[in-house]
Amino acid sequence: MNHLNHLVQAMDSVQLAQMSFPAELPQTVLAPYLFVSAAMFAIGLIGFLTRKNMIIMFLCTELMFQAAGLALIAFGRHHLQADGQTFVIFVLCVAAAEAAMALALVVLLFRHRESLSASAWKELNG
Amino acid sequence: MEQIISPIALYLICGLGAIGVALALPRRGHSGTKIPLHIVGGLVLAMAFGFAALVLGLKATDAGNPLPNYFFYPFAAIGIGASVRMITHKRPVYSALYFILTIIASCGMYLLLSAEFMAFALVIIYAGAILITYLFVIMLATQAPVGDNDDDLNDVDAVAREPMLASAIGFVLVALITVSMFRGIGDLPHSQISSAQAADGVLAVLPKKIDKILDRAGLLEDGWLVSRDSETGHAIIDVDAQTVQIQLVDGVDSHGHEIVLATRTIGPDQWPEELAAQNLDRLGYNLLNDHPMMIEVAGIILLMAMLGATVLARKHIELEDALKAAQARKLGTMLDTDESNSVRGQA
Repeated sequence: MNHLNHLVQAMDSVQLAQMSFPAELPQTVLAPYLFVSAAMFAIGLIGFLTRKNMIIMFLCTELMFQAAGLALIAFGRHHLQADGQTFVIFVLCVAAAEAAMALALVVLLFRHRESLSASAWKELNG
Repeated sequence: MEQIISPIALYLICGLGAIGVALALPRRGHSGTKIPLHIVGGLVLAMAFGFAALVLGLKATDAGNPLPNYFFYPFAAIGIGASVRMITHKRPVYSALYFILTIIASCGMYLLLSAEFMAFALVIIYAGAILITYLFVIMLATQAPVGDNDDDLNDVDAVAREPMLASAIGFVLVALITVSMFRGIGDLPHSQISSAQAADGVLAVLPKKIDKILDRAGLLEDGWLVSRDSETGHAIIDVDAQTVQIQLVDGVDSHGHEIVLATRTIGPDQWPEELAAQNLDRLGYNLLNDHPMMIEVAGIILLMAMLGATVLARKHIELEDALKAAQARKLGTMLDTDESNSVRGQA
């Protein structure tokens, strides 16, 4: 019970934001965020390489956008600049444009072959 | 030069991660084994994640450096776990739903990095709009219907292409990125601007916001406003010294200058606590002041994407001659109402 009380007190004292805002973000705090971002990017890349379903492949590119956005925001916070966040707005915009185009392409390709497999379009190799 | 994490530990973590993802990727068979391979893969991945958290944490506490917020660990675990499940799930709809989970976990991390606006924008745009489009397309472009049994699934979804090779490539990449990143992170230049500037540097260009805050704090009598610089229009405010100048204005003279009757300075003893630029103020100012052209570029990209998607996905309907004739007649009647009446009479 005592331990529980300690835990509750510790949780109470935790601020939601990482350091109160104007304070600089130390490098030991920045590193885990970058690690998560790199891992998410790698998982997106692996998914893009291994999955055969074209929709999943495009979903994996969105995951890679997401990882890049996390790294941008973490670095922006570290340098106390708003440019990182501004850039994420444009990443979102490009991701939305990419999703619209990619999904239109997927629908078009599906109508031609009645298959979502990327290997249905093998003859397109250069 | 101090490194945040030893490269050996990092290679070990990446190796474990690669093995875990390779095991978790979808494949056929193995129904005879007691424990499914993807669960083994998940356990290996969890080990890699725990090891990474431990090593990063130990290094930080060794040097007495601060650790990430407690909330960071669950968000990171959910984010990475959901993204692994996204690329390993055999059914596309579930993949899309796991991607939403990844998005929400990264929103949590954005909140921890005090980027509230981007966190909410991400939920609205990604989870609310883009993912719904994905779900629609998944349902539009479904192949032959399948039952609940995973064995009925098409090879497209049920079998991964070269899982071992791809995981090796992916995690060699992540090992290289992180090793070079962690080696250089100690040399990152410190922020060019001081903390006070970061919080309040934008404040001077928002005189109306200062007016509102001072008014709410009861510091402005009727007719008093924050003094503006006559050329730039910026407020006369010194955030470091916590002083702000206010003035009593009575209309405008014939040259367009304000007629200032009196000025007064509000000092640090009266300085309201909420007189600081919010994250959103800084983001908006940065977007509109430093990158105004980018908004136009973004608009053009979105317009082109919309046109392109419309052209690409348009369905070419092949009509038979009789149907075409009927269609033409129908169009004709819309133009000429008399004819349409006669057609109806014949029918």
